Amino acid sequence: MPQLDIRDLHAHYGREPVLQGVSLSAERGEVVGLIGPSGSGKSTLLRALVGLTQPSAGEVLVDDRRIDYRDRASQRWLRERLAIVFQQYNLFQNMTVLRNVTIAPLEIQKRSKAEVEALATTLLDKVGMGHKRDAYPDELSGGQQQRVAIARALALRPEILLLDEVTSALDPERVNEVLDTIRALTREGITMLIVSHEMAFVREVSTRVVMMDHGRVVETGPPAQIFDTPREDRTRQFVSRILRH
Amino acid sequence: MNYDFDYADVLQQLPYLLGGALVSLQIAFVAFFAGALLGLGGALGRVHGPRPLQRAIGAYVTFFTNTPALVQVFFLYYALPDAGVLLSPLTCVLIGFVLNSAAYLTEILRAGVVSVRRAELEAAATLNMSRLQIVRHVILPHVTRMIYAPLSNFFIILVLGSSMAALFGVEELTGRAINVSTTNLRTIETFSVVAVIYILITFVASLSLALLGRWAFRVHARIF
Ligand SMILES: Nc1ncnc2c1ncn2[C@@H]1O[C@H](COP(=O)(O)OP(=O)(O)OP(=O)(O)O)[C@@H](O)[C@H]1O
Ligand SMILES: [Mg+2]
Repeated sequence: MPQLDIRDLHAHYGREPVLQGVSLSAERGEVVGLIGPSGSGKSTLLRALVGLTQPSAGEVLVDDRRIDYRDRASQRWLRERLAIVFQQYNLFQNMTVLRNVTIAPLEIQKRSKAEVEALATTLLDKVGMGHKRDAYPDELSGGQQQRVAIARALALRPEILLLDEVTSALDPERVNEVLDTIRALTREGITMLIVSHEMAFVREVSTRVVMMDHGRVVETGPPAQIFDTPREDRTRQFVSRILRH
Repeated sequence: MNYDFDYADVLQQLPYLLGGALVSLQIAFVAFFAGALLGLGGALGRVHGPRPLQRAIGAYVTFFTNTPALVQVFFLYYALPDAGVLLSPLTCVLIGFVLNSAAYLTEILRAGVVSVRRAELEAAATLNMSRLQIVRHVILPHVTRMIYAPLSNFFIILVLGSSMAALFGVEELTGRAINVSTTNLRTIETFSVVAVIYILITFVASLSLALLGRWAFRVHARIF
């Protein structure tokens, strides 16, 4: 039984169809890399998964339980298990780095202060932001903000983690740090859906890669298949164009 | 001008006048905080509420910001007893001021509420914050910080505007000044002292508001 099962998901922005029947699943502890051209609907898929964009058809199952996105309780249940780091920076500007990381575990999950602060410190160190715990987001670079956002998501102790282009704003040195962090997470058994334009990164960390285009899944397979011997022309085209850069 | 200034009679009444100043401040505080509470609800409803609610709030704001506060209080002052509601002049004035400041504060706070970045609201939602928690942890701190300056200015306006209550027999600073000057017949002296008291109040209020803003909300405004 897959931990995350997406079946024929549709979504629209206004009248424009953005997801046109996406199906994909992830086993527990699996790292699924999501690639595809700009505008293919990768971010929308993640947004629909967390319920920020209402799916218009299809279903999502987590641990075999069907999510009802119109029901608050069902959404809350989902969001207790699933964390997301967005493409754009979205830290709370009025809170320090530390508070950004601890607010949800403390105020919403009601975990103990000692445990949460210890975990936050560990996580911030892990993403190389320990020395900035008292800074405010507007005092940080974009890449630094993104690292804090990763720590904030991890502090929730999610079972499923959605990452939307989290490395795009990082300098090369930091990409490796984040990569290490993510690699360590896979060993902890967190299921991950990673959207990225960094093919080497996707290839390295993914157990499976999903290629999307025009709101549909074009091809799914192990990294070696997608990057070396793609079955679909569209995948070959996209991958070769990107790898040449 | 050969007018002999004589402040002795006024200064003798200083404690009485200062007591009035306290009443003025009380009126301003009630109008401000009750108005801000209603105004926050108004601003949230205006921005995030359903359409009919947005319209209703819009109409309320338009009505109260386009008619003089004095007229509104007059209306209440005479209409309420007619409707069988008998209230003290002070209560009546307070109700009028709160309704009026709620309208202005809805507009002021709305500017802050719309400036909350969507990304933060979405992050809050995915962190499982309830609506109330989003207001408390994300919207309110942001709004307070963004519109701190117009907010403190409005408080000063309310302090000065509270003098209107004198017209309804409320013994706040201006009301007491009228009482004093009609007995000692030293109108110029009395009102110059009262002006100084108003200046002191607003000065102290601005200063404390600016310091509070710095300390509590990271507002980096100039103090003077
Ligand atoms: N808020 C929105 N309103 C209307 N249309 C939108 C909105 N967000 C995205 N879209 C449209 O939906 C489509 C998919 O966008 P999406 O952001 O999911 O793509 P993406 O695969 O994440 O692209 P990128 O790699 O550039 O991040 C695009 O055509 C985009 O124009
Ligand atoms: Mg995207």
